[in-house]
Amino acid sequence: MLDPASPEPSDRAGALGATLGSPAPGVRVLTVEGEVDTLTAPHLADGLTRLLDDERSVPVVDLAEVSFLASSGLAVLIHAAHRATGQGRTLHVVATSRSVTRPLEITGSDRLFEMHADPAEVLGLGGGAGSGPRPPEAD
Amino acid sequence: MSDMDRTDPEGASVVEVRTAATAALIPTIRAVASDLAARADFDLDAISDLRMAVDEACATLVDVAAPGSSLRCAFSVYGERIGVEAEVDVAGPDTSVSTDTFGWRVLQTLADEVELVSSKEDGRSTVGIKLDKRAAALPR
Repeated sequence: MLDPASPEPSDRAGALGATLGSPAPGVRVLTVEGEVDTLTAPHLADGLTRLLDDERSVPVVDLAEVSFLASSGLAVLIHAAHRATGQGRTLHVVATSRSVTRPLEITGSDRLFEMHADPAEVLGLGGGAGSGPRPPEAD
Repeated sequence: MSDMDRTDPEGASVVEVRTAATAALIPTIRAVASDLAARADFDLDAISDLRMAVDEACATLVDVAAPGSSLRCAFSVYGERIGVEAEVDVAGPDTSVSTDTFGWRVLQTLADEVELVSSKEDGRSTVGIKLDKRAAALPR
């Protein structure tokens, strides 16, 4: 039985890992771990802001270790996708679990991102294969 | 019509959870939703949808709850569907939930039925969200 008199703010609920790294040249990855809900979505928003502040690399957000994604988290991701578009870039999203892919798909927001089911796919985005750093596109 | 009727004519099993109306306790409520759906043999998409819908409904209500009030969430488990009634006390009859939001549109997408309810009895005002989810998720 839950006791309404002792609202224990669970540590897990407030904890969202969001780490910025560069696993390959020209690729910046924000690796997110935990549950994204109304409490933790601001933390994700901060991470995405830092990710997109660097306009020279390909932005990737890795949600493979995210076990829950609420509409507040979706809203933050959609906002970041629009910011990336405004910069002439595409936000890449790595999503492997249903807890992330289902919310993105059922709301149709997956169309705003370049989706990847395999984290290894994003390593080649920065260069190789002749893509290189992309200039902002005209029009 | 009573909001939380334990003896259901259709023979549902009813599970009620009551917490302080704080966002920190919503993970517990959505875990209950997920567990009930899994035990009722919901398909995996429907389990995910219900968990997210319950989270959304509770987060919406916690936002408008009167300070120090509780969040009450009742799950009625039928064979092929789960009904959810979540409710909080609000400061006055003018307090309501905006349905012109991204979150509300997501909620409508996730659940098969959603309804906003409010009541005022003996000077006590409440706002609630009722939703219904079937065991097999509709394809996109």
